[in-house]
Amino acid sequence: MKRIKALVLTGFGLNCDYETDFSLKLAGAESHRIHINELIGVARGSDRVTLGQFQILVFGGGFSWADDHGAGVLMAAKLKRHLGAELKRFVRDGNLVIGICNGFQALVNLGLLPGFDEAYDQRLVAITYNDAGNFVDAWVTLRVNEAAACVFTKGLSEMELPVRHGEGKVVAEMDTIKALLENRQVVMQYAGEDGTAAQGKWPFNPNGSIQDIAGICDPTGRVFGLMPHPEAFNHFTNHPNWTNQREALSRQGKTPVSQDGEGIRIFQNAVEYLRGR
Amino acid sequence: MAFRLEIRLKRELADAEGAGVQRKAREYFGFQVEDIRVIRILTMDAQLSDDQLRQIQTEIFTNPVTEESAYAPVARDFDWLIWVGFRPGVRDTGGSTAREAVEDLLGTPLGPGEAIYTSKLYEIRGKLTEEAVDRIAGELLANEVIQQWKIFKREDWDPGQGIGFLIPKVMLNHEPEVTFISIDSDDQLKQISLARNLALQDRDIPIIREYFLRADVQKERETVGLNLPTDVELEYISQARSDHCNHNTFRGFFTYRDLCTGEETSVDSLFRTCIEAPTLKMMEEKDWVVSVLWDNAGVGRFDQDHYYVITGETHNSPSNMEAYGGAITGIVGIYRDPMGTGKGSKLISGMYGFCVGDRDYDGPLKPHLHPRRLLDGIIEGVRDGGNKSGIPTPFGLLLFDERYTGKCLVFVTALGIMPARIGEQSSHEKTTSPGDFIVMSGGRVGKDGIHGVTAASEGYSEHTPAGHVQIGDPYTQKKMHDFLLEARDEGLIAFITDNGGGGLSSSVGESARFSNGCRVALEKVPLKYDGLDQWEIWISESQERMTIAVKPEHLDRFMALSAKHSVESTIIGEYTDSGYLHLTYKGKTCAYIRMELLESDFPQWEFEAEWAPPQIRGLAEPVISEPRDHNALLGAMLSRPNLCCRNWIQRQYDHEVQGTSVIKPLVGKYRDVPSDAAVIRPLLDSHRGLAVSQALNPFYSVIDTYHMTSATIDEAVRRALAVGGDPHHLGGVDNFCWPTIEYDPVKNPDGKYKAAQLVRSNWALRDLCLGYGIPLLSGKDSMYIDGHLRGPYGERRKVSGLPTLLFTVSSVVPDIGRCVTMDAKFPGDLIYVLGATRNELGGGEFYQMMEATGLHVPEVHPEKFRPLYLALYEAISQGLIASCHAVSRGGLAVHLALVAMAGDVGMEVDLGGVAGAEGLTPAQALYSESCGRFIITAAPEKAHRLEEVFSGCEIGRVGIVTQKPDFIIKDQDGKRIIDVVQNRLKAEWKRPFGGLV
Repeated sequence: MKRIKALVLTGFGLNCDYETDFSLKLAGAESHRIHINELIGVARGSDRVTLGQFQILVFGGGFSWADDHGAGVLMAAKLKRHLGAELKRFVRDGNLVIGICNGFQALVNLGLLPGFDEAYDQRLVAITYNDAGNFVDAWVTLRVNEAAACVFTKGLSEMELPVRHGEGKVVAEMDTIKALLENRQVVMQYAGEDGTAAQGKWPFNPNGSIQDIAGICDPTGRVFGLMPHPEAFNHFTNHPNWTNQREALSRQGKTPVSQDGEGIRIFQNAVEYLRGR
Repeated sequence: MAFRLEIRLKRELADAEGAGVQRKAREYFGFQVEDIRVIRILTMDAQLSDDQLRQIQTEIFTNPVTEESAYAPVARDFDWLIWVGFRPGVRDTGGSTAREAVEDLLGTPLGPGEAIYTSKLYEIRGKLTEEAVDRIAGELLANEVIQQWKIFKREDWDPGQGIGFLIPKVMLNHEPEVTFISIDSDDQLKQISLARNLALQDRDIPIIREYFLRADVQKERETVGLNLPTDVELEYISQARSDHCNHNTFRGFFTYRDLCTGEETSVDSLFRTCIEAPTLKMMEEKDWVVSVLWDNAGVGRFDQDHYYVITGETHNSPSNMEAYGGAITGIVGIYRDPMGTGKGSKLISGMYGFCVGDRDYDGPLKPHLHPRRLLDGIIEGVRDGGNKSGIPTPFGLLLFDERYTGKCLVFVTALGIMPARIGEQSSHEKTTSPGDFIVMSGGRVGKDGIHGVTAASEGYSEHTPAGHVQIGDPYTQKKMHDFLLEARDEGLIAFITDNGGGGLSSSVGESARFSNGCRVALEKVPLKYDGLDQWEIWISESQERMTIAVKPEHLDRFMALSAKHSVESTIIGEYTDSGYLHLTYKGKTCAYIRMELLESDFPQWEFEAEWAPPQIRGLAEPVISEPRDHNALLGAMLSRPNLCCRNWIQRQYDHEVQGTSVIKPLVGKYRDVPSDAAVIRPLLDSHRGLAVSQALNPFYSVIDTYHMTSATIDEAVRRALAVGGDPHHLGGVDNFCWPTIEYDPVKNPDGKYKAAQLVRSNWALRDLCLGYGIPLLSGKDSMYIDGHLRGPYGERRKVSGLPTLLFTVSSVVPDIGRCVTMDAKFPGDLIYVLGATRNELGGGEFYQMMEATGLHVPEVHPEKFRPLYLALYEAISQGLIASCHAVSRGGLAVHLALVAMAGDVGMEVDLGGVAGAEGLTPAQALYSESCGRFIITAAPEKAHRLEEVFSGCEIGRVGIVTQKPDFIIKDQDGKRIIDVVQNRLKAEWKRPFGGLV
């Protein structure tokens, strides 16, 4: 089978690298945790890594540079300066980029998202402080736009994942939002428990995001950013109601079908897409 | 030249931070503020060209979608402005990350002395008096201990000038200098100790003098150019001998007298007899205990190839002064302990326990910070410390009591994991050898935290030096954590320990005992700013630093990895076998002390302990007739501050980072009821879990600390078992917080009683650890939880905290797929109460609500309880149990309600079925806090097998889970005494704090 290599960024306060790396491996990728300095040339000798060796690039969650000047802002500035052209080339070469939480924040500040006209350098979307004014850890229900071009969400229509952020509110000029919706770049939206739109209602929409936006992709569907954490649903016991589900199954004489959590499907989609390319 | 960049959100965007301040101003003070908006300020004290300034502004610090900015005042349409900035020398992480970004952008470092500082300007609209604005500034936005602020009135505002340039640069203009200290007499040294805040103990002074006056010592000292002791040397001795580092109280000699029987007992070291002895015994019996009693944290086996690491401590005094800074420093600090255990472990979990005064306290005393503000700050500190470290915080406790107004308690607990072997060596072993380099990694050294250890060993008063308050920096530490794990895995670490209390003095001093000596060149220690004296460099508690022994052949690789992670590492000296701690500054010796000095016979502390049993103290059971309105009573109980819903705290804490979450802090259908314990899956490719729980029951201390301690340990054990923990693997961590026990007829007239309380607590600790088979993997004691609060007439009143033990239990779950949560699962399931209910309401919530203390405090009988615990483990292993919940504070009625609320179901319960209820009144059966009990629910078809597993145990089938949402309890005669819709109970439970986010 075709080897799919994934690079998970680490260092400078990023922190979801282990479980993201694990999730990619579960999904069949050959994943590596790589320090940002190894990519941008600060590291010496054998510690040097180039982006060209990989097909999936992950901007994972965390608090890069402590997030003191806007989440993902300093990380984007650093990568733009040292890796800007390479990143654009990576995307144009048909590879995949996913930004999760802090990574999503970095992608919009880099301009890789929304990436209108595949220009990849305009800051048109911001991810700012939750309306409630505080960090929140909560599981949310997400509606997945099946019409979106996003390769990561193929075959998914609804998902439950945890959000964990203080700055997750997606904002942009009305024109940008309109274009995102029209181009079918809005991939995930917060929903009520019944799967219908949250319409801004707390706690279903945990941050006040415009149009309940939880995740967007670029026009090609190969760059994806989302606030919820798919890598945190890597095992069925991650789900908040798993003991209830287990008990219900056991009364029917059954056990859980898969040990994997549903979040893994996002990464499987990425691997399958690249294998099929 | 200085430049000031002002950044604000665009007009049309809501300002969540400003809205938060506005809400607090209204809720806390009743101020009608129309609107508050925040302006972020970056003050750049550097030579920068116009072009560079523009780049900095547009390419980094202004988000074109949401923000606008200018190098000029941007405030507009306000009535008041409040500017808040840090005081010089206070940790400004935002300033240093801004500097990092600017240097990267410009491709060149800032010049010497140049820096970037952050501050904030609050734009306030509304008709407020100057006094009101001052309160918002001083009581909501800033704490004078670490911050400075300025208020601008609309009329006085000069839009050209703005706030001006306030640059909090540290300028000491001081040439470092070693002072020699005369030791002509004990008295003289005592005076100097007082004057210099050395905190040398009176009883140690003769030993110290004797050492420096010895002929052989003097002769040796001459060879290095020393005679009288230097300030560096005395500071070193003082740090090492402080109660915080040396646990003099727990190692003291207690003469315990029972005032009732007249019987006298001597206890030579509580540590040796009640902690060390039982733990060593356990270690023989339990092969999973890997390393205890010596390192920064205890080590237990997780599986064949991995060890877990656990420890806990408190950060009370600093949090009491500066809640946010103290708490974040506490949690970030405890994370360094597992990093410095063995050859270093990866952090996998943090936990917290907060004890504060009543949130709405409006009594006559004036604490330094109001409990509400204190709690807000503590919560935020632990939030940022944990979240920004990428470590899940899946469990925590909060307790309100007026007696914590004197000093709040902030408990922090940390867990790590490490491979069992690093190359050929066991990971829990480490040593320093002559020739190893002493490397300091992480942050730099400043004046912060100086005399922190000694300040923690004193009660809080207005004279406590504020210099010991600092702000932890999880960003710097996270980088260091990632670096050290890589260095460990490459076998580059010979020894590692953290710089916490006492700084280098403790970390180098203690690690040098292994090699038997060290030589440190203090001028090599990287400083935040010039002008620190040698003794300050040596004992500074600047955070985020580790001390590592690196072998010469590993140095290059170690430094290369350090650079890869952008972590600063510096060789500051080397370990030797000279038998001396030898410190130099620019080649001149400033300390030369024999390593064995600290092992010499310093006099043991002595305490008199006098115990008066509760009956003798006049305690009795209250006289209360059977309540007629049990529905209202249960609702009132559920809304008591220590029983009600406090979810707003847990929701701010990331408990799922690392992807390991199995049992979350909040469980049930709507994920809003606290779990008994947390379970994580620290190795993502393994099905083994680590269960952790904690308990706090200080109210029982008022009756008898022996039973407080046993009830606390029992509860922590039951919590861990309730989720599926293994009773054969129970690790314990004891964190004591105690008021001063040293008797003084004026300052501490009840010191002897408090000492007896401590002795009894330790006896219970010993008995319970032996009874349940719990080795104490780690523990700390924090004495002096007293405060002297300002009263309305210019007096100061001493307020002593309750004798408190936070007990942590760790356990291993062989298969996480078997874990159980506390929520009732399905209608039709049977409800059982395991364990007997006795007339034990003393010190409990029901009596507290009735404004009574009582006498019959819950007691623990390990020999009776343990068989039931083993049976429970068996039943969970066999998959017979749908939900399990430990009954604790508040008793059966409260906890049955929680189980029903979590499952969003009704219940029909018959008290007649409860084991032991026959001799009790309904109120006693409902609210007794007897230990050893669980509530479980199970599918009816499993009832037979379940009852078989529990045969011989005191259990009772008490009722059934119902679809109908009614919560019904019948008394022992079958009379319905509680009949209320479960939702209504939940509303009561959420009423006090349900609105907080």
